[in-house]
Amino acid sequence: MTAIALSPRTRKRLINRGLDVLTWLVLALMLAPVFWLVASSLQNDGQLARGSYDLLHPTFQAFRDMWKTIDFERYFVNSAIICTVAALLATAFASTAGYALARFRFRGARPFGLAVIGTQLVPGSMFLLPVFIGFLWLKQNVGIQLYDTRVGMIIVYTAFFTPVAIYFMRSFFQGIPRDLEEAAQVDGCTPFWAFVRIVLPNAAPGLMATFVYAFLFAWDELLFVAALTEHNAETLPLGIRLFIGNYSQYYGQLMAAGVISTIPVVLAFFAAQRWLVRGITAGAVKG
Amino acid sequence: MSQRRLPREPRRPGRRRRNSRLPYWLIAPALLFMLFVHVLPAIGGFVLSLKKFNLFTFRELFGAPWNGLDNYRSILLDSDNPLHNGFWGAASNTAVYTFWTVAGTLVGGLAIALLLNRKMRGIRVVRTLMLVPWIVPSYVVAVLWSFMWQSDVGIVNKVLVDYTHVLGHRPVWLLGSNTMWAIVIPSIWRGLPLAMLIFLAGLQAQPQELHEAAAIDGAGPWRRFRHITLPLLRPLIAVQLLFGVIYAAYQFAIPTVMFGTNPGPDADLMMTFIVRQSFSNSLYGLGAAASTLLMLAMLVWVAIWYRAFRRDLEVT
Repeated sequence: MTAIALSPRTRKRLINRGLDVLTWLVLALMLAPVFWLVASSLQNDGQLARGSYDLLHPTFQAFRDMWKTIDFERYFVNSAIICTVAALLATAFASTAGYALARFRFRGARPFGLAVIGTQLVPGSMFLLPVFIGFLWLKQNVGIQLYDTRVGMIIVYTAFFTPVAIYFMRSFFQGIPRDLEEAAQVDGCTPFWAFVRIVLPNAAPGLMATFVYAFLFAWDELLFVAALTEHNAETLPLGIRLFIGNYSQYYGQLMAAGVISTIPVVLAFFAAQRWLVRGITAGAVKG
Repeated sequence: MSQRRLPREPRRPGRRRRNSRLPYWLIAPALLFMLFVHVLPAIGGFVLSLKKFNLFTFRELFGAPWNGLDNYRSILLDSDNPLHNGFWGAASNTAVYTFWTVAGTLVGGLAIALLLNRKMRGIRVVRTLMLVPWIVPSYVVAVLWSFMWQSDVGIVNKVLVDYTHVLGHRPVWLLGSNTMWAIVIPSIWRGLPLAMLIFLAGLQAQPQELHEAAAIDGAGPWRRFRHITLPLLRPLIAVQLLFGVIYAAYQFAIPTVMFGTNPGPDADLMMTFIVRQSFSNSLYGLGAAASTLLMLAMLVWVAIWYRAFRRDLEVT
């Protein structure tokens, strides 16, 4: 082989064009499964079972049938209600706790901060059964039904996603200058009202990002909802598997259900994308 | 406003003292939820691991008879117990799964971040679209990939065997030893965007002058990467290692949605093992003991991690 003489500039440009092509290839590879999800949802079940595809003639039949094959609406509505309310509550609790950690020095702040991280270290299976027993106990002794209810799942999810949300909110509050509250307090606001009237409105993007972050995680949860519900409060991850049971092979509808299950989180993500990315990377870059 | 301004410093402590209870009120709701859903149940889980708690004693709940360390002994040491092998199999599968998932996610995420940390037409669009796999819910990832993995009609084998002839035979992905890869690869795919995002932010925060100075001194791209880029990314690698390992070791959704409650001996992870023994086989005490051991393993990991990366924590 003879080396082709290239000027350094041409060589650099060639390498750069090559890397550009590589970038687009990697993106294509990363998006291929998502493309395949959407493409398969537009085929009919028979074609998918045989492995023959007709990408030029898409059909929306699967999107119509999936609501009749199983009671998909129930799962979807449950997911939407449980995850929205839990994410809202987690964001609310995290905003106050995150503010306390960001602004106040108080006895127990450090143990509390460590406990917040510590919760992430406990495997869900460790407290799943005791939570279940706790639900039974409440039913028997207090008469409050939490098992297989949306309220029960909302309580559990709120607790789950509050710790992560606290760290998220804390880093947002640390980015807000102190002068704002101090000015408000000089004007006669109590610290609490300074927080509510001055700090919270300024942290709106952070609240939004935290809400979406908690919502994404709640939407993904399977372990607890599998153990703590049996019909009324079941969510999407439990419903979606019913399309492929022992007697049914509704692959088209399964893929359509996958698309429908993904749309809410994609919408939520892109609505808050800028702030969400900032929240994730700010937490990470600061350590 | 009055003309006479009070000196600032003496006021502050006074205000602090007057509102010294405010931070406690602020953390109270979060603390309450954590106490009743995390802390007390976790302690309860540990207590149950010391009990003979199964289908027959379930009615007694926490009144079930004490069992000492028998649950631990039977899964750790008792080689006559079939669950002993199941436990160690799940433990080693979890180690393999965690290693490949975390390694693949971090190395791949860094590589993609380096690619995206360049000037290029449409780079903003690429950076945004690259995040999409991370948003797809785990259970959708699992049903989608189990559809793609199908031996005869799945797109993976169609591409690898029919279209490109990379492989001469059709591998069976959803049975036997390949099942581990059937859960590792989708896990990496879903984790890559987050790693990419974090590394990209780290790369963009790096001072450009360092790289330029090193380039003038004659350091090639590899040496600049090795001696400038990588050391500056150490804190980010540390954080992602810590949470990546814990998150992977507690993986449950992907194997469960793909394979059901029993993923088979080659893909049974700790969480699927624990949940199956607890809920399908009603061996609650034993499941609780396995959970405790899993958490102990993670505590050991945190200790190792802390020793290795303490230096980086002080820097940030």
